[in-house]
Amino acid sequence: MPRNPLRSEAEAFRFVLLTVAYFALIVGAAALNTWFGLAVFLALTALALWRFFQRSTPEPPGPAPQGGGSA
Amino acid sequence: MSAHAEPHAPSGHHGPPIANQSSKVSASVLGMFLFIASEAMLFGAFFTAYFFVRVVNPEAQGWPLEPFHLPVFVAGVNTAVLVTSSFTMHWALQSVKRGNRAGLQAGLVLTLLMGSAFLVTQMLEYARIGFNPADGAFGTIFFGLTGLHGAHVFIGLTLLAVATVRAFRGHYTPEHHHGVEIPGIYWHFVDVMWIVVYATIYLL
Repeated sequence: MPRNPLRSEAEAFRFVLLTVAYFALIVGAAALNTWFGLAVFLALTALALWRFFQRSTPEPPGPAPQGGGSA
Repeated sequence: MSAHAEPHAPSGHHGPPIANQSSKVSASVLGMFLFIASEAMLFGAFFTAYFFVRVVNPEAQGWPLEPFHLPVFVAGVNTAVLVTSSFTMHWALQSVKRGNRAGLQAGLVLTLLMGSAFLVTQMLEYARIGFNPADGAFGTIFFGLTGLHGAHVFIGLTLLAVATVRAFRGHYTPEHHHGVEIPGIYWHFVDVMWIVVYATIYLL
């Protein structure tokens, strides 16, 4: 399961900083050349998605179901 | 409503019966995912319309088309104010976790002030921008997107105002500060959405 970037305030704050860096790089690259900007956008998006799904952590086991209910 | 007898709850438990969790994802995480997904679809609809307008004008020499002019610098300063408010929000949370009540109060007040400044500046920008929502598709989408974000800022400010009042009444402790954490998460989310809007509409 991928980790929620808005899981806590600290993680959400980190997400803000990463978003600023992400768009700063894209806008900077696009200012040089439109197609370079597109390439940077694709590369950064691929990197962000890879990191997002790579950082998956196993969920802690939940409380035992009560009353004998099954999933 | 009938007084229907529920099966006996575990001894000592009051209120409604404990919900059965059939998913591996906790309810709070699932709720946050659904919230993010719904917001992404809401903003995504506006962005789709925006990019459609850009795509159907391939002959345009620069964007936005004449006679539209966007105040990029003023909006850039406004963006810096909003990003700074995320820092003060984070400071407020870190302060309450360390038991620093003055830091919590100062952080929340500064965040509230900067958020209000952002909203007032945006309203002034609307008054001086020189076009209105009825001036073509671009005008409609511009006011729709920035107005939708402004509504989110207003909701965030309302949540922050409640948290600030409670902070001055001494409601939060290093162990119990959920009432600051949730507005903080929402505020950062609103900040992220503005960065996307600003970069897309004003810069790219």
